[in-house]
Amino acid sequence: MEHILLNILIWFGLYLIVCVSLNIEYGFAGIPNFGRAFAVLVGAFAVGGIVNRILMLILGVSGELVEGSSAVKGATNEIISQHPAVGILVLILCLIIAAALGAFSGALFILPSAKLSEYYLAMTLLAISEVMFMVGYYNPDIIGGYYGVSTPDVIAFIPGEHRLEAFSLMTLAIAFFIYFLVCRMLNTPYGRLLRAMREDDAVVEAYGKNVMMLRIKTCAVGSAIASLSGALYSLYATNVIASSFNRAEWAFYPFLMIILGGLGNNRGVVAGVLSFVLVKVLLSVYKWELTEVLHLPFEAVWLEYIIFGILMLLVLMYKPEGLIKEKPIMTEPIKSKVR
Amino acid sequence: MSVLEGAVVYSNLIALLSIGLTITYITTGVPNFAQGSFAIAGSYIALTLFRLFALHPYSSLPIAFILGGLLGVSIYVFTLKPLIRREASTVTLMIATLALDFILLGIFGAYSDYLEGMTGKTAKKFIFTPYDFEVANISAILLFSTLVIGLLLICLFLLLYRTKFGIALRGSMENPELAEVMGVNIENTRLFSWFLSGSLASIAGCFLPFRLEIVPLTGSLIIVSIFAASIVGGLTSVYGALLGGYVIGFSESLVTFEFSKIFGPGILIYSRIISLAIMIATLVVAHNGLAGVVKKWNTSS
Repeated sequence: MEHILLNILIWFGLYLIVCVSLNIEYGFAGIPNFGRAFAVLVGAFAVGGIVNRILMLILGVSGELVEGSSAVKGATNEIISQHPAVGILVLILCLIIAAALGAFSGALFILPSAKLSEYYLAMTLLAISEVMFMVGYYNPDIIGGYYGVSTPDVIAFIPGEHRLEAFSLMTLAIAFFIYFLVCRMLNTPYGRLLRAMREDDAVVEAYGKNVMMLRIKTCAVGSAIASLSGALYSLYATNVIASSFNRAEWAFYPFLMIILGGLGNNRGVVAGVLSFVLVKVLLSVYKWELTEVLHLPFEAVWLEYIIFGILMLLVLMYKPEGLIKEKPIMTEPIKSKVR
Repeated sequence: MSVLEGAVVYSNLIALLSIGLTITYITTGVPNFAQGSFAIAGSYIALTLFRLFALHPYSSLPIAFILGGLLGVSIYVFTLKPLIRREASTVTLMIATLALDFILLGIFGAYSDYLEGMTGKTAKKFIFTPYDFEVANISAILLFSTLVIGLLLICLFLLLYRTKFGIALRGSMENPELAEVMGVNIENTRLFSWFLSGSLASIAGCFLPFRLEIVPLTGSLIIVSIFAASIVGGLTSVYGALLGGYVIGFSESLVTFEFSKIFGPGILIYSRIISLAIMIATLVVAHNGLAGVVKKWNTSS
């Protein structure tokens, strides 16, 4: 029971980060980023590919990444269990590299389509993400290809039986910190500019703002945040393989969560993520019982896909504004007018 | 099968799929993210008929054509039409097709488990290559896929340019509002386009297992090539889509093959990067794809 609760907390934290980032891009700025999974994968690249290599250099481990990473994992865990500060340092290093790489790749990723209309944009972003997913899975030099790589346990100083609790608390703390920062960021002229761009980018352009630059900035910020989630997930799982960053779990589900919760509104995102994660974790916990009781002639994971797909269609048809509706922005001048 | 033969077959299939995507885009205004899964539906129809009734995949083409068309129509009627009636935005419609793709993936997975239980043979990974044969020294897949696409083009041409329905169809593709004013029932043209899109994809799906291994997820992998072909074609012209299919199919097969001579066979798995590169190049250089280039050339001369 406790295990289920902790699982819900961890996934709530991870998905909250991704959904907040997607909400900046789609909910606020109106960029239909169907390639969200790519930014998350970049976070895994940062941890599995870059931090691992740095640690290999520091610890003097030679050889290929796949074998080297497990040697690094052993040695680093040993050190971290003695010196907690090293663990925190590695964690911070992972997050910084992930955010930097995410911002860079996000800005680059939007470039070919920065001037395009919605459907071209969505198709291009999805195609880039899908191809990068394939490259990450096939090329063993990035994060070990289909072998995957190990990642150090940054909280190895905490005894094994309490690891899940510590990790879920840490993830939640980081997620809420990001959530708070993003709320502040969106409650500025920049945030209002994003909403204006979503409604009509021609007007924004007419007021002298560079729409393309705005899109690049937004994608950089969004991707940097989403990469943090990928990095945290890689550290949580203590090994990464590109196939865990598929389009279903890291692009489709986030879309479902933010649309379910209510677009362009951060409290809605929390509501959407919470209700989705509850259903998802419970479905995965009770999948055997479900197969048994319903006499399904197939595995329950397929049922999960069908259920969430149908849920998305139902939300789009009957509750397109989501659980919590976006409110008009109450800036000081508007407040005085309304009164 | 030689490399060139393989390239022709693959291009035929990509062309069938991108024509389908383009027709529904023209009439409904939404790029169908589930087009790849429409094809896999055809593959599973062929597999079912083959396993249960020992019907050769080539003989199951007519059945796949009809069932695929019905799938396309039902998807339009039950999901996109209600959304359009509620005045959903283009992005909402795209997300709906993404959801459909996801539902179809779940259905394929569930169905392949079910089929495995029934036949005792694996259905989550299959290929038809061993069942192909030769007709006068040409592999049947090359012959049939080319014949189908030729036949289809003739039928489409006759329908579009020789019948009254075709005129109405072309009218509503060019300018839906005006066509509606002239008394054309837009709803019929949409239904027809979704039927055609589903059935063409389903036929491509029957051929696809002769060329590559099918898993439930294959649909979301080939969607990159389909998008690339449609975008190179300009998204607004059926002939553009046909041409785009051949550009993408040939470059994916032949360019990667040439590269593999230089960089070794490891490069072959990256063939989709070529499609992506061509697609991005098209978007940067010529927004409206080949169709736009031809149009510009026509008006300037």
